[in-house]
Amino acid sequence: MVEKNTQDSPVETDGGALTQAAQSHRETNYLDREVNLLRPSTPFMREHLRVVWTGFVAWAIIVFGPVTLTYLAPGLMTTEMPVLGFPLHYFLVAIGAPSGALILSFWYARKRDALDRKYGIDHSVVETEDSETTVAADGGTSE
Amino acid sequence: MISALVLQSGLLPEGLNVSFKLAPAIMVVAMLALFLGIGYAFRVADTEGMWVAGRSIGNVENGMAIGANWMSAASYLGMAALIALSGFYGLAFVVGWSTGYFILLIFLAAQMRRFGKYTAPDFVGDRFNSDMARAIAAVTTFLIGFVYAIGQARGMGLVGLYIFGDIGLPGLSGYQSMVVAMMAITVGYLTLSGMLGATKNMAVQYVILIVAFLAGLYAVGFTQGYSTVLPQIEYGQMIGQLSSEFSEPFVNESYYLWIATAFSLVVGTCGLPHVLVRFYTVENERTARWSTVWGLFFICLLYLSAPAFAAFGTDLYSENIGPVYGDPGMTSAAGDVIVVLATQLANFPQWFVGLVAAGGIAAAIATVAGLFIAGSSAISHDIYANIINEDASQRQQVLVGRLSIVALGVITTLAALDPAAPIAALVSYAFSLAGAVLFPMFFLGLWWENTNRQGALAGMTTGLVIWLIPMINEVLPTYIGNGEPYSATLAATVPAIGSALVAVPIVFAVTIGVSLVTDEPDMATKRLVRQCHSPEPMSRMQSAEEVAATDGGEPVSDD
Repeated sequence: MVEKNTQDSPVETDGGALTQAAQSHRETNYLDREVNLLRPSTPFMREHLRVVWTGFVAWAIIVFGPVTLTYLAPGLMTTEMPVLGFPLHYFLVAIGAPSGALILSFWYARKRDALDRKYGIDHSVVETEDSETTVAADGGTSE
Repeated sequence: MISALVLQSGLLPEGLNVSFKLAPAIMVVAMLALFLGIGYAFRVADTEGMWVAGRSIGNVENGMAIGANWMSAASYLGMAALIALSGFYGLAFVVGWSTGYFILLIFLAAQMRRFGKYTAPDFVGDRFNSDMARAIAAVTTFLIGFVYAIGQARGMGLVGLYIFGDIGLPGLSGYQSMVVAMMAITVGYLTLSGMLGATKNMAVQYVILIVAFLAGLYAVGFTQGYSTVLPQIEYGQMIGQLSSEFSEPFVNESYYLWIATAFSLVVGTCGLPHVLVRFYTVENERTARWSTVWGLFFICLLYLSAPAFAAFGTDLYSENIGPVYGDPGMTSAAGDVIVVLATQLANFPQWFVGLVAAGGIAAAIATVAGLFIAGSSAISHDIYANIINEDASQRQQVLVGRLSIVALGVITTLAALDPAAPIAALVSYAFSLAGAVLFPMFFLGLWWENTNRQGALAGMTTGLVIWLIPMINEVLPTYIGNGEPYSATLAATVPAIGSALVAVPIVFAVTIGVSLVTDEPDMATKRLVRQCHSPEPMSRMQSAEEVAATDGGEPVSDD
């Protein structure tokens, strides 16, 4: 579908006016930094994991919160909602949880794009950047 | 009495008469011809195209493929049935099968794309440097595909029987003939087209299935006076009129089972090989992320509508046929086709009922396609090309791939001729298996670089054992015993349908524990994991392994 054209234009167009974050991204060799879910080792990973964990907590509440509340306080949770007519627990589970997860997904993808922008990462110039950093690609033949 | 009648009519409930129906038959034949045509147009001859569609798929298209790949006969037909028959407990399936995609998105999707190989066992084998781990993952993948596809074949057989009647292949019942015919068509186009054609088809199949489902829902709601513009919300007002079993919490099943089921389905979603491989087919990691968002959106369209369809169907059934709950109540066979049944009970013309039925076939074919591609690549790529014949040419690999698709098709068809367990149950066992064995390996493998080979092997073995316990305790007796579990306590603690709730924490603990007491993985492996998380963009055809091995300037010994 989308034809990827390999541009030869240089990546540096901003004349060196890099943000702090983009600067630290340039200076980081990610292959030398540990990957650990609980102890992020690069500024990018730290910020990314903050987004991930926030989303995860919100997700857990949306998914398991209503059903647990229904178990603990059945009377309160099964009251009928005005206008819609749903019992509250049914609405929160059947409609709240799936839509909640969808909204969270959208939120996460946006956040992650914003993070890429902040660190000066651009997925559309991949082919160019790649030829700079890769020393010896093996021609892409599969083993 | 009811079950005897059901058997006589070849599993279909009385409400649906088995006969050849011209208009629906033309629609379904045209649809199948279209699938074959697309498969032929996008036929492949190399492994890139066969397994990962040349890594060429974009956002929305992959999102649709994720949706079609995901929504099987179990979603299209079985979901409404579950909600109608098990009430509030049925919603655990809606929640588990949709919200799991968020976990997949934040923890696995982009990293898997960066890893960039061909199959899920590839990841396990390369990450843990172990052919044993690769083999366990490949066998698990194959098992999942097989177990999962039986249900789809049954769905296709049921709906096909309704549309075409008894086509009467010699020696087979009407239902069996239809299973054979439908599977032959599916396998035919898959062997021809591979992943590229399957992906193009899945986008088309998604459109067909969602249009058919929503058209059915809107038409039933509108003509029966249930709803107008937004049936997904409007059915709330009729819940009060339905019997209390439809919405009252924990009347059918306990709170624990609800949580266990939802949890298993979430981790199962994140561990299913045919779901993960969809991330290998896209251009880059950003596309992997956004296509997941699109995929979840497309999935939600159906999952938010299924409870409404269930409510309409339940009401129509109790008005026209008899009480849904209690004894005798609605049979599970009637439940399995309640979506089709509802349109028939609402007195729609035959061609419209046929359209809704055709959507079910599209859903089943799309999922079988995804499962068979994943299953056959496990055999051809992971076992044949990586373990048995390391010098296999592309031609040989594609040939073995095609042969294994045929083999999978044959054994699935044989198993589906006489389905012993309900669709939804079979499908959930596959989810528990994926959640217990593969999910912890993907998760820890990607997020903790010190996970090593010994840890992974110990963890996977533990997962398999814990999965087997309820299978033996609960499922085996339905074949060789009186149907009652050997130990009721065990069945309540580790239910077959939700065993991942118990298995996943134990597998995590075992994997971490064993990894801690054994040697750390070598630097090449750690760099591979780091490359999966690096925000640095990669080119389309690169895998993390290639970059990790060449980049950075220091010499790294690699296998």
